Amino acid sequence: MALNFFDQFLSPTHLGIPLVLIAMIFPWVLYPSPSNRWLNNRLVTLQGQFFNRFTQQLLLPLNQGGHKWALILLSLMVFLLSINMLGMLPYTFTPTTQLSLNMGFAVPFWLATVIIGMRNQPTAALGHLLPEGTPVPLIPVLIIIETISLFIRPIALGVRLTANLTAGHLLIQLIAT
Amino acid sequence: MLSRLVLTSGSALKNSGSFGACVVQASRSIHSSPQSKAPLPPLPEKGGKIRHGIFPEELFSLLYPKTGVTGPYMLGTGLLLYMLSKEIYVINHETFAALSISSVIIYGIKKFGPGVAAYADKLNEEKVAKAQEVKDVAVARLAQAIEDEKKEQWRVEGRHMLFDTKRNNVTMLLETNYRERLHMVTSEVKRRLDYQVELQNLHRRMEQEHMVNWVEQNVVKSITPQQEKESIAKCISDLKVLAKATQARAAV
Repeated sequence: MALNFFDQFLSPTHLGIPLVLIAMIFPWVLYPSPSNRWLNNRLVTLQGQFFNRFTQQLLLPLNQGGHKWALILLSLMVFLLSINMLGMLPYTFTPTTQLSLNMGFAVPFWLATVIIGMRNQPTAALGHLLPEGTPVPLIPVLIIIETISLFIRPIALGVRLTANLTAGHLLIQLIAT
Repeated sequence: MLSRLVLTSGSALKNSGSFGACVVQASRSIHSSPQSKAPLPPLPEKGGKIRHGIFPEELFSLLYPKTGVTGPYMLGTGLLLYMLSKEIYVINHETFAALSISSVIIYGIKKFGPGVAAYADKLNEEKVAKAQEVKDVAVARLAQAIEDEKKEQWRVEGRHMLFDTKRNNVTMLLETNYRERLHMVTSEVKRRLDYQVELQNLHRRMEQEHMVNWVEQNVVKSITPQQEKESIAKCISDLKVLAKATQARAAV
């Protein structure tokens, strides 16, 4: 029975064609691209309003320079949101249960933030390694710990997403039987 | 959707120094809407007609000439039974999950569908209302300006009356002023003349008195003592005669 439970997470292929690409590209169909209209149909209006509010909330704590990240962050979040929600329906495959996909998101993003931070403000970036208000004797230990946590971060992020989704699907299967 | 974000944040990205050039190329390739400037046809009022929530009405009208009203339903039933009987669609535990999830989704759509549609319509209505309000305010302001202009024109027409009144006013003031001064002049002249008249009167009176005094003095001087005695004796005799006459009248 344990084998059956994990069968749902095999990457689907049919006649040798990997279907995971369809699963990844499918959400693109659900968001029609906007025209130059001032007033749109209901779907586009609702989606537009949702994205606007989402981006506004996302960019609240950031200053002007951080707004450059709006596009990539919003598209990442909407992609993951739609893929995970679609995975709730029966007969679907959730690509984010595959560790490869999640690491493919986690490592580049993490690396980009670290390298950009080091390039633009090296002092502040290195300063993040030491939290404020630490007692002086603890400083060397804490720096080592923070460095380790920094490097583990992509693995943590990727594995976290994979584990959450896989666990969720498994739980649904277990409860269903 | 993504292209909308690119449109709004494209300029921000392009301004970021180091990735400036390659991002311009990337955003060009993401634009999926047509780049032509031709005007768009207007959106239809309602969406396409559908039956049972999923099947477009065109399918039914397509099959109607050949198979009548029940055609598409027979097609659907036939396909379903074919897939079930040939085990192309295998009934497993996921079928039950699919049935449960679809019933929940249908219930949700039926219950909250109109609400969500009304919300989406409200968003559009608010957009239109905001623009309409701007237009209405502008129109109202212009109408007010027209009315003010008309009122000013009417005021200009009545301006001549104002000027007439002012002219009259000024004339009256001048007239009054002239009369006052005339009166002053006449009164001054009269005063001078009165003075002269008084002076002449005074002269004549003084001459009269002087003359009378002189005459009196001369007369008094010219009365001799003998004349005085004769006049006194005459007076006494006259008095006696008078006394007699009076007594006689009193006795009668």
